[in-house]
Amino acid sequence: MDEKQQKLLEHEKQQRAQKRKYLMISVVSVCVFFFVWELITGILHILPDYTMPSPVKVLDSFIKKFYTKTPDGEILPVHIITSLKVSLFGFFLGSVTGVPIGIMMAWHPRFEKFFRPLFDLIRPVPTVAWIPIMILWFGIGLGAKAAVIFVSAFIPCVVNSFAGIKQTSQVHLWVAQTFGASRREMLFRIAIPTALPSIFTGLRLSLGSSWMALVAAEMLAANKGLGYMIYTSRSLGRADLIIVGMLTIGAIGAILSYVLGIAEKRIVKGVSR
Amino acid sequence: MKKAVQLEKIGWVVFDLLLLLLGWIFLVTCTSAKDTFPDPVSVFSMLFTSFVKPIGTYTMWGHIMWSLYRVMVGFTLASVTGIIVGIAMGSSKIAEAIIKPIFEFLRPIPPIAWIPLAILWFGIDEASKYFIIWLGAFINVTLNSYVGASRTDETLIGAARMLGAGKRKVFTRIILPASMPQIFAGLQVAMSSCWMAVLVAEMVRSNEGVGWIIIRGTDTGNTAQIIVGMITIGVIGFILTTAMSWIERKVCSWNTTL
Repeated sequence: MDEKQQKLLEHEKQQRAQKRKYLMISVVSVCVFFFVWELITGILHILPDYTMPSPVKVLDSFIKKFYTKTPDGEILPVHIITSLKVSLFGFFLGSVTGVPIGIMMAWHPRFEKFFRPLFDLIRPVPTVAWIPIMILWFGIGLGAKAAVIFVSAFIPCVVNSFAGIKQTSQVHLWVAQTFGASRREMLFRIAIPTALPSIFTGLRLSLGSSWMALVAAEMLAANKGLGYMIYTSRSLGRADLIIVGMLTIGAIGAILSYVLGIAEKRIVKGVSR
Repeated sequence: MKKAVQLEKIGWVVFDLLLLLLGWIFLVTCTSAKDTFPDPVSVFSMLFTSFVKPIGTYTMWGHIMWSLYRVMVGFTLASVTGIIVGIAMGSSKIAEAIIKPIFEFLRPIPPIAWIPLAILWFGIDEASKYFIIWLGAFINVTLNSYVGASRTDETLIGAARMLGAGKRKVFTRIILPASMPQIFAGLQVAMSSCWMAVLVAEMVRSNEGVGWIIIRGTDTGNTAQIIVGMITIGVIGFILTTAMSWIERKVCSWNTTL
């Protein structure tokens, strides 16, 4: 017994050592990445500043951008808030309409028959292809962008809610029916809880695609926002600001999906227990 | 029985399309939307004439070919590089430790956000578009190949090892086929994101391609041209995804879960 335990402990130790080794490799890899970047830009100046600034310069511009309005007219927090407002508004509208429509489509056969062809008609059109027509209809203000984001959030929500409800086990429904549940009760107590993980997958996809659609829309028509910032910086040859904008876009996208992940853990667990 | 179901389905499709057409006609004849919304006749006549009469410098075929050519270049490069990097990450712990942190650091940035930098790096012509399309597909393919390769059943590898298979044989006969379904799932997603990336790249900067058609429509206030472009984009997108899943079914025919 004692020997066995010792062996187990040793094995664990070994595994931990292995893990530490790979962690070290990761750290070294990241350090080398930044070092090489700094070496070819900041130290040796192989690449000119306007195509590839050094990491130090990027960090410097990032901090400065918090209080300087040049060259694009707004400070970084304003761009961030503008982008967040538009994308969350569109995402909210898209999910609030998309999820119920997906559920309805899966639950009522007649509803599905009616909506399916219409939905299949718009689904293959990539959301960014809606940008031009939306600009023409709603102008370059909040309306056009919110509409594009609405479309991009709506489609994954419908698809995944639909698939989720369709996964409901027939046996569960039969049991509920035997015990006298109404159709409404069956939907809210069985089908929707079954579908929740899939619905959340849809929400996560929606969030990702609405964030991307926002960047595209802002590059084509805007006077504020992160997409606008990186696109104007390009015509000014300010690669450092482009990289600052890209990293901000990436970081905010990651934070948003992380927050949604926390919400998912809470809600889905609570229901399934 | 099956035939009746299919007939009903077709009936609903026809009904929906008629309803849509009627709504459209109502919208352009009876409301003020006709200033910003083209009527069905002009859209469909433009759709058909665009294949013989050029929009800009090319006919619709020319624009489609330009866009498809860009997608194919980017997609091919991305599938080759993505599968190599992904499988390397999935089958070797050292490669994983080296590449993963950098990959995870760059992954959340949407490929579209790379456009300004790509233009600065590669200029405004083809190379920057290939880069954006490559990037859009590369992330998906790498991620899926990585997941596929790292989820290979350990017992299968162990069994092969015990029966005397070398490292290379384990790789070609077990890891590679086992990750095939995941790789194809990645390629499928990559194809649609390529199609999206080419549109944005063309909308931002180009003189030809289907993305150019729709953005040019906005610049000149030609709504009929935008709708024609959107219909074409939708149809081509649909054909691309259908073709991809057809290839997938052919190549991974042993996989019964498809």
